[in-house]
Amino acid sequence: MLDAIISTRELLGRVDELLRTQRVIGPVRRDVPDATPPVRWFYEPVSSARQLDLGFAYCVYSPKQYLLPPRETLLEFHRTPDGFSARPVSDAQPTALIGVHPCDLHALVTLDRAFSHNGDDEHYQARRRRLLIVGVDCGKPCTPGVYCADMRANVADEGFDVMLQPLGAGADVERFGVRFGSPRGRAWLEAGGGCERPTAADERAADAWQERKEASFGRTLTTAHEDLPAMMARSYDSLIWEATARRCYSCGSCNLVCPTCYCFDVHDELDLSLQEGRRCREWDGCQLQDFALVAGGHNFRSKAAARLRHRLMRKSKWIGERTGGKGCVGCARCDRACTARISTVEIYNQLAEEV
Amino acid sequence: MKPRIAIFSLTSCEGCSLAILELENELLDLLGAVEIVNFREGMTERSWDIDVGFVDGAVSTPEDEREVTRYRACCKTLVAIGACACLGGVNTLKNRQEMESYRTYVYGERARWFPTTDARPISAVVKVDYELPGCPMNNREFLRLVKCLLAGVPFALPNYAVCVECKKAGNLCLYERGQMCLGPVTRAGCNAICPHYGSKCEACRGLLGAEALAAARLNMREIWKVDEERVLADLRLYGAYQGDGSKP
Ligand code: SF4
Ligand code: SF4
Repeated sequence: MLDAIISTRELLGRVDELLRTQRVIGPVRRDVPDATPPVRWFYEPVSSARQLDLGFAYCVYSPKQYLLPPRETLLEFHRTPDGFSARPVSDAQPTALIGVHPCDLHALVTLDRAFSHNGDDEHYQARRRRLLIVGVDCGKPCTPGVYCADMRANVADEGFDVMLQPLGAGADVERFGVRFGSPRGRAWLEAGGGCERPTAADERAADAWQERKEASFGRTLTTAHEDLPAMMARSYDSLIWEATARRCYSCGSCNLVCPTCYCFDVHDELDLSLQEGRRCREWDGCQLQDFALVAGGHNFRSKAAARLRHRLMRKSKWIGERTGGKGCVGCARCDRACTARISTVEIYNQLAEEV
Repeated sequence: MKPRIAIFSLTSCEGCSLAILELENELLDLLGAVEIVNFREGMTERSWDIDVGFVDGAVSTPEDEREVTRYRACCKTLVAIGACACLGGVNTLKNRQEMESYRTYVYGERARWFPTTDARPISAVVKVDYELPGCPMNNREFLRLVKCLLAGVPFALPNYAVCVECKKAGNLCLYERGQMCLGPVTRAGCNAICPHYGSKCEACRGLLGAEALAAARLNMREIWKVDEERVLADLRLYGAYQGDGSKP
């Protein structure tokens, strides 16, 4: 059921309205002549709604950087005669994220849960509270190799303030079916007076669109979604980890592009005076050699094979168990980012054949 | 007492020494925290009572050998800065050529006035306490080391690949544009500056380790099917010196 219909023109008008008071982030198209296909999309701040390309295939990086930046300052401290004093630092600002596909919406839900597990992560939550999320549905697999349908992440019912369903086909979508996910989303979109009531014909068009979408997704994994955790549990001692990890650089690219990878490292930086400094946090990744290195010099996962297994266990089993969200949304960014062409799909299917 | 610092140059372009002078915003604070007592690029006075000596350049002549031995003797802490001092750097390209031919090529008839040796990192000649690799070294990393020394806390180079910083910078990976970037096998710390501006990483900060290199050999052969010689030629630009006398 649709809550409303809005024309592309009205929608862009609402986005331009947002731009008067806040930062707007969305898919921006970049030409890359020497890549195949010769174009990529990135989530970037825009200064006009016209810069958004809501018909994008996929963004190279997920929007997680706007909630968990690659590098951030958590607090500033300075030495005092009797110790030190510290002051929290936050760069949270009102932001609208326009144009998030279902896979990334699921991933944002996972992050929300991870950063409220055992108490709120204040820096994350301060950004989250100021974030308006507008999803846009995808009509078909955005690029070969994705397995979002296998992970039940190609359709999203939560994680947005507003969800847009492009009605009609092709690049020149003129109307969107709208579902509201929060009063805030509704208030923003309806304020312009441009929302229409959906007609019976609109509902039929939306249903037909949805059916075409569902039909266009094949299955990539040989293991059903609900069986994946158990299959992985049986695969812990498989030789496939070792055999595959021979090619792994431990470069961590797979972690850093992953929309649900949320591990970070914290360190202090001092000024030359040694009197002032700041505590910073940066993205970390479980594929990096020193990720599980602890004081005293012991490394719990010193071998690439152990790290590769750890990552896939996290994605298919442990993050789900820990947060109740999805550990993997099947966007296949990891597979595309891997310069060793290590494929998570291949690993899952090889393991399934074995056990 | 402020630590007494010296900056020396062996066979190099001295760009790493210059990188220190380029710390324009921090230079005054730096001079407030340390005393520079010997720096050809920046001053005329000289002292040989030194707490921390920074050396750029490779050991490439008998004179370099004598000089670096002297630096070691005069400096309580010795730091190699830049690809030349840490790896041998581009100077090591000559190690794979005939000595007579490159000497004549460079110095012509006066070649015999300029005795030379294979180019080596300074750690091949004397004990080195810290290394700040890169061509040039990253002067932010230099500052970080200075601060660690001042505060008496441990310093370590990033022990992960350039890809990490490349991803944090939000770059499109050059493999997607058909370039065999050396980022996956190269030590980070440069903020992936080359990939960020569209050129592949050339490993000026040195290789990460045996595991990554073994992976590279497999991937170049089996996945990318590129000529191994081509990749080796890239690796040799800064890393032709192997320590064990082998010529990769
Ligand atoms: S991107 Fe590939 S090579 Fe790099 S750590 Fe991940 S699996 Fe290994
Ligand atoms: S461009 Fe190079 S450094 Fe950057 S991610 Fe790709 S391989 Fe790694």
